[in-house]
Amino acid sequence: MVKLEFHDPSGTLEITQPHAPRLASLEGRRIGFVSNEQWQAFRMLPLLKSMLEQDFPGVEVLPIDTFPQGNDLIGTEKTADLVGKSGVDAVIVGNAA
Amino acid sequence: MKNAVSGLGLAPDAAMITFPIDMFLPGSDIGQLKARKQEIYNGLTHWKSDFKAAAPAKSTMLCVEGASYEDALVKANNFLLTNLWGDGLPMWPATRERVDWILKGSALPRTHMLGKFPPRGGLTTVETCAVALAMAGGRPEYLPVLVAAVDACFDPSTVFDQLQATSGGPFPAVIVNGPIARQIRVNSGFGLLGPDPQHPAGASIGRALRLMQQNVGGALPGVGTMAIFGAMRYTNAVFAEDDEGLPPGWQPHATQRHGFAPGTNSVSVVFASGATNVRRRGAKKETPEEDALNGMWRMADFMRTPNLAALAGWEKGTPGIMMIAPIVARRMAELGWTQNSIREFLWENSKIPMAQMSRAGAPAWIEIDSNPVTRESINLDPWPICLKPDNIVLVVAGGGHPTHSYWLQAHSPSVIGRVIRLPETFDELLIQADRDLGCGSDHCAIA
Repeated sequence: MVKLEFHDPSGTLEITQPHAPRLASLEGRRIGFVSNEQWQAFRMLPLLKSMLEQDFPGVEVLPIDTFPQGNDLIGTEKTADLVGKSGVDAVIVGNAA
Repeated sequence: MKNAVSGLGLAPDAAMITFPIDMFLPGSDIGQLKARKQEIYNGLTHWKSDFKAAAPAKSTMLCVEGASYEDALVKANNFLLTNLWGDGLPMWPATRERVDWILKGSALPRTHMLGKFPPRGGLTTVETCAVALAMAGGRPEYLPVLVAAVDACFDPSTVFDQLQATSGGPFPAVIVNGPIARQIRVNSGFGLLGPDPQHPAGASIGRALRLMQQNVGGALPGVGTMAIFGAMRYTNAVFAEDDEGLPPGWQPHATQRHGFAPGTNSVSVVFASGATNVRRRGAKKETPEEDALNGMWRMADFMRTPNLAALAGWEKGTPGIMMIAPIVARRMAELGWTQNSIREFLWENSKIPMAQMSRAGAPAWIEIDSNPVTRESINLDPWPICLKPDNIVLVVAGGGHPTHSYWLQAHSPSVIGRVIRLPETFDELLIQADRDLGCGSDHCAIA
C-alpha cells in the first residue's frame, strides 16, 4: 500500500469568545433589532416585533430603526457599542440572503 | 452566517432561522414567519451551539492509502472534493515535501501570520498560502506574489468579508508590475487572462488564491458565497502590465496608483465583477486620429452603464480596469494622448444622464449607500461613474494587436498595492525554473 500524507487546506480557527448566553424567558425582556434593511426586512421585522409583543407579556421591543442600519454599518464597533449601551437583553439580526 | 460568526472569533455556529429565498422577494407572502415564530423564540432562549471541538492549533496532516501511487493520488483528489476543498480540476495534494519546496520562495517564516481570512476567519500564515499553491500546481517562485496578493486582500479598506459573501461574485484581479512578472512567467501579452503554457504562473497563483478564498475564508458556492454566477473564479485574474511596452513618458500602473518607483516588484489588487471585450479598431479608411477617437468612444460607451456594485468604490476605489494593448498605447501616445487625457476622456464621456439612471431605478441604490460622498453624487446630472478620472485603472497589457481593448468592470471599494518581498535565494529559484520548464520565450536565467 502507498500512503499519501498531506496538509489540511482549511486553515485553523481561533475561538476567542463564547456565544451569548440564552435567556430563560422572553417575558419582561428588552429586545432589539439590528437590520441591514435588505430582503424585505422592512416588512418582516415589524411583523416579528408585533408577534413578540403579542406573545410575551411585558416584553419591550425597540423600534426597528433604533440602531444604525445597512450592511456597512451593522457590523461596526460603533453599532456594537450602541447596542451594548441600550440595555437590551437580546438582539435579532436580519435579513441575510 | 456561520462564516461571519466564526470570523468574529465565536464557534462557527449560529442561532439562525432559514427560509426559502422566495420570502425575501418584493411582494412575497411573509406568513411563514408566523408559522415558524417558535423557532425564532427558541433561538433567543434554548439554542445551543452544536460545535464541540476546538480546532487544532496548527495545520493537520491528512492521509489516504492506495494500492499504488496512482490509486492514492485519485483517492486524495476524491477526498479533497468530498470535503469541499477542491474546485473540480485535478490537484496536487499538499504533501510535506511539496509544501516545503514551495516555501523556499518565501522571504518570511512559514509561521508568519498574515491575518484571518474573512469571513470565516481561518488563520492564514505563509504556510497556508504554500499549501494552497502546492494544491494549485504552483512553484516556489510564485509564492511571493501570492503572499503579497493575500496581504492586499486583507487590507481593511477592501471590505473583503462582504466581497467574499456577496451575490455579485467579484473576483480578485491581481496586476503585477516589475521585473518579477517576466522572471516567473506572469503573462502580460497575448491571452493574458486565460491559460498559456508559456506563462503558467498567473493560473496557479490565482487558483491558489481562489482555493484559499473557499477553504480558509469559507466562500463555498451557495453556502459561504452567494455569487449567483461566479465568473472567472477558477483562477481569478492574475496578469502583468507590459512595463517594457509602455510608451515613452508613460508610467507603470503601480507608480501612478500607488507611488511605487518604476521597476518595483508589486501587486495591485482590484476586485472585478465582469469582463468585456471592446472592439476598438476601425473597419474602413479612418485616419489615425479618427481610429483613436472612435476607439475611445467605444470604450467609454461600454463603461457608461449603471453598474451599481461599483458604487462601493465610487469615491476611493475604481469602476474598473481598462486594458489597452501596448501597440494601441504607443500609437495613441504618438498622437498626443497621455494616460491622464485617456482617463479624463473616459470619465467625462462615460457619465450617465440622470433620466437614464432613474429609468433603471439606480438612484435608490445611491440613496442607501453608506458613504455620504457617494450619496451626494445623486445631485450630479449627468452622473459620473466614479468621483474623478484617477479612479479609473488604466493598464497597458495584452497581445501585440490593435483591434481590441478590454474592460474589467469592478466591485472594488479600494485598489490596494503591495510591494513583493523576495527571498535571498530568489535567483536560484529562477535558475531551477528554467531547468525544469525550459527557457521561456522572453526570459532565461540559464542562457
